[in-house]
Amino acid sequence: MKSFLARLGESIIVILVVLVLNFFLFRIMPGDPLTGIVDPRFSPEAKQQLAAQWGLDRPMSEQFFVYAREMLSFRFGLSMMSGTPVWDELKNRVPNTVALLLPALILSAALGIATGVHAALHRGSGSERLVMLGGAVSFSFPSFFVQLLLLMCFSYLWPIFPLRGTTSVPPPEGFAALTDYIWHLALPLFSLVILGFGGFALYIRNMMVKAMGEDYILMARARGLPFRRVVWNHAFRGILPPVLTILLLSLPGVVSGAVITETVFSMNGVGRFLLEATNSHDYPAAGAAFFLLALLTVGCNLLADICYVLVDPRVRREGARE
Amino acid sequence: MKDKLRLLIFVILVYAAFIDAAADGKTSFDVENLSGPKARDLYYVITRDMDAALLAMSTGQLDVLSDIYRPVDVGRIAESGTADLSVASSFHAFFLTFNTRKFPWDQKILRQAASLVVDRGRWVRDLFSGYCEPLTSFLPNISPYAEQTISRQYGAEEARRRMADAGWTWNASGWLVAPDGRELPTTRILCPPSSVAATTTEIATLMAEALMSIGAPAEAYPMDFQTMLARVNVGDFDACTNAWSMSRDPDVLYAFYHSSMDVEGGYNQSGISDAELDNVLHELRYAPDEPSARDASTRAQARLAELMPVIPIYSRYSISAIRNDWNGIFTTDLTNSDNLLTLISMTPKDGGERPIYWNITEEIRTLNPLVSSTAYDWVVLGTVYDTLISTDPYTFEDIPWLAKTWDIEPGERGSVITFTLRPGLRWQDGRPLTAEDFAYTLKLIKDNNVPRFYDSVKDMENIEVSPDGLTIKVYMGNTSYWHLHNIGGMIILPKHIMENVPDWRTWQPTNRPHKADDGTELTELIGTGPFIFRESRTGEYVHMTRNERYMLYDGESAK
Repeated sequence: MKSFLARLGESIIVILVVLVLNFFLFRIMPGDPLTGIVDPRFSPEAKQQLAAQWGLDRPMSEQFFVYAREMLSFRFGLSMMSGTPVWDELKNRVPNTVALLLPALILSAALGIATGVHAALHRGSGSERLVMLGGAVSFSFPSFFVQLLLLMCFSYLWPIFPLRGTTSVPPPEGFAALTDYIWHLALPLFSLVILGFGGFALYIRNMMVKAMGEDYILMARARGLPFRRVVWNHAFRGILPPVLTILLLSLPGVVSGAVITETVFSMNGVGRFLLEATNSHDYPAAGAAFFLLALLTVGCNLLADICYVLVDPRVRREGARE
Repeated sequence: MKDKLRLLIFVILVYAAFIDAAADGKTSFDVENLSGPKARDLYYVITRDMDAALLAMSTGQLDVLSDIYRPVDVGRIAESGTADLSVASSFHAFFLTFNTRKFPWDQKILRQAASLVVDRGRWVRDLFSGYCEPLTSFLPNISPYAEQTISRQYGAEEARRRMADAGWTWNASGWLVAPDGRELPTTRILCPPSSVAATTTEIATLMAEALMSIGAPAEAYPMDFQTMLARVNVGDFDACTNAWSMSRDPDVLYAFYHSSMDVEGGYNQSGISDAELDNVLHELRYAPDEPSARDASTRAQARLAELMPVIPIYSRYSISAIRNDWNGIFTTDLTNSDNLLTLISMTPKDGGERPIYWNITEEIRTLNPLVSSTAYDWVVLGTVYDTLISTDPYTFEDIPWLAKTWDIEPGERGSVITFTLRPGLRWQDGRPLTAEDFAYTLKLIKDNNVPRFYDSVKDMENIEVSPDGLTIKVYMGNTSYWHLHNIGGMIILPKHIMENVPDWRTWQPTNRPHKADDGTELTELIGTGPFIFRESRTGEYVHMTRNERYMLYDGESAK
């Protein structure tokens, strides 16, 4: 408990540091929100009016105070580009991102684990070669190419999935709206699973091959334990901590890297919002998006620590001794 | 394949020009001959990926596709046979800008020589398969004020001869030496990276090669676009590539080349400062009437051709496609098919009733017209709000729109503009539109210094509305013919709604319900335009319905 509280304290310090860095890094970046306005009908005087509207003419300390207050209260201020509260902008996008990426991550990991373990247990077989090849292809193909190919095949040549968005236009009502939503997410989800499982499969396969050669596995088998139990309760459990670390720490990267999927499938998600906010120097929007990403990263890190305790008795015992 | 595409484009251009100009003998547009909107529903559908949009168009999920710029897409649409393409010149203009504040680009003769080695025709042919046009004017070719002042003559030999005549020499390595003995430093041509704008990077490379052909060391210098803008903004560059979206009025030249605009945030990026040019640009900006403006514009462009602070390179065509199962498509050789007139006139060829699905490539960020800044937002807002005067699609001259007549005359302190509204105009909620609404809009913008429209109203001093509410006089603090376009091109907001808006900066009209006179549930996004806003789903679509109170709506013809 004590060590958990210490980790929690560290996490809060990290969040506060990120909060401060977020403010200054965006302002150190070349340009500002006005630099991107390249419209000859927008005079320098009009730009000054805009700077005043956005509060950019105020002293830096005042800007920082307003920023910190908005971030810590989770209101996040008003987006410079749209004039709407950033929280409203995020509220529209986060559900789509979560609905797509969370199942994608879970399914990719599940498929990667299943195929990786299978390959490790069937070394030298055709199925191992297939997993290795599939994993390498999945891992190395550019996502936009695979996704466009899927669109071409399953939305155009054999049109069983929609071409764009998360809803039909016009959208159906009632329960049909939910099935319509799932139907729209199916192809992007499928694409992310086939693009994402390869990395897991190759990693798990290598870890399992190593684990299966360990003495404690030999011992377990010598004790006459069923093979299935040896594999899952002993070998796989042994590699579980690093697998959990990879799984949890890949979540923030998946969110920020969702831009391509959101573009190809015209989805309204956080990844693209993050990119557009950064490109346009929309300080409140970009600050909020990066702050949430930092929270997600630190949260996942903390969760990984908790999971360690749950899955690894050695960590539990060390904690108890401390 | 490239030749086939070029031939195709040529045929389309000729066809568009012939059909529109010759078939019905029209040389000008009469708004009274138009009726609509005819379609009951309009969906602006957001499809970000052009490949997905093309597939959607070929399967009938999209009817209108704008902003087509990749030659390969034009070819695919043409081959699919499901849509009609239209091509027109546009107000896009691409320049190479020199920093005239420092050596060596403060040397006029060097800039003139550089202009001679730009092989625009070949670059456009090689890089864009002919889907752009070479630019030899400081205004886009489509502008009624564009003067072809820049020689199309191309040749390093001629450039070198002129340099030699001006006393420039070449050192043993073949690099230029100025008459005062200074050697030229390497010119870095700032440009976006090829991953962002491949053709722009390529043009910067070609330009560097061209400069080296006359002995000026140069290299393309790709960098992050925002960083590039930031450096150009403070004059920290040698040369850079710029693309602009300009307008029909030539007073934009003042913003680009008047010395007073060489300030941070200003657009005189080249830093050109020339008394003669300043005088003629001042005359252009404050011209009392159109003939004086035209004369000043011609002289300004002639002086620019002499000073050559930038090198015009090319202008992009505007290309759109509409599925060929629609009637009522409106194009001219100046306007392609994705315009408001098409939107008003579109009807299915089979005589039935179905929605129009119009593609937008980026999501709508806000529909508050006072803060909205993206072109995509204005695609939607442009169907909701109207202006007093509009532009003839055949000639780019002013035509009546909400205003039936207008006049601009010199007053005691400055221009006085008078607009007389069409009688019987109504807002989409059924209330009558009067000149009071327009006066309120102008005051709201002026009193609050609304940045988006600040430049249009900053010189406005007084407004008078006639007792019958049909005529408005706007008094400006100085004289300029362009005030007519700035004021006449402003949107009009409904006074009865704006009076109740607590803060114009955070106003989200689509989130605030408003009842029409007949009890219909609408939002505060109320204009006089052909379509009424109904619903928006962020990142997905915007749904609009026909405005049956629209000034051009004729129930019978709509059926």
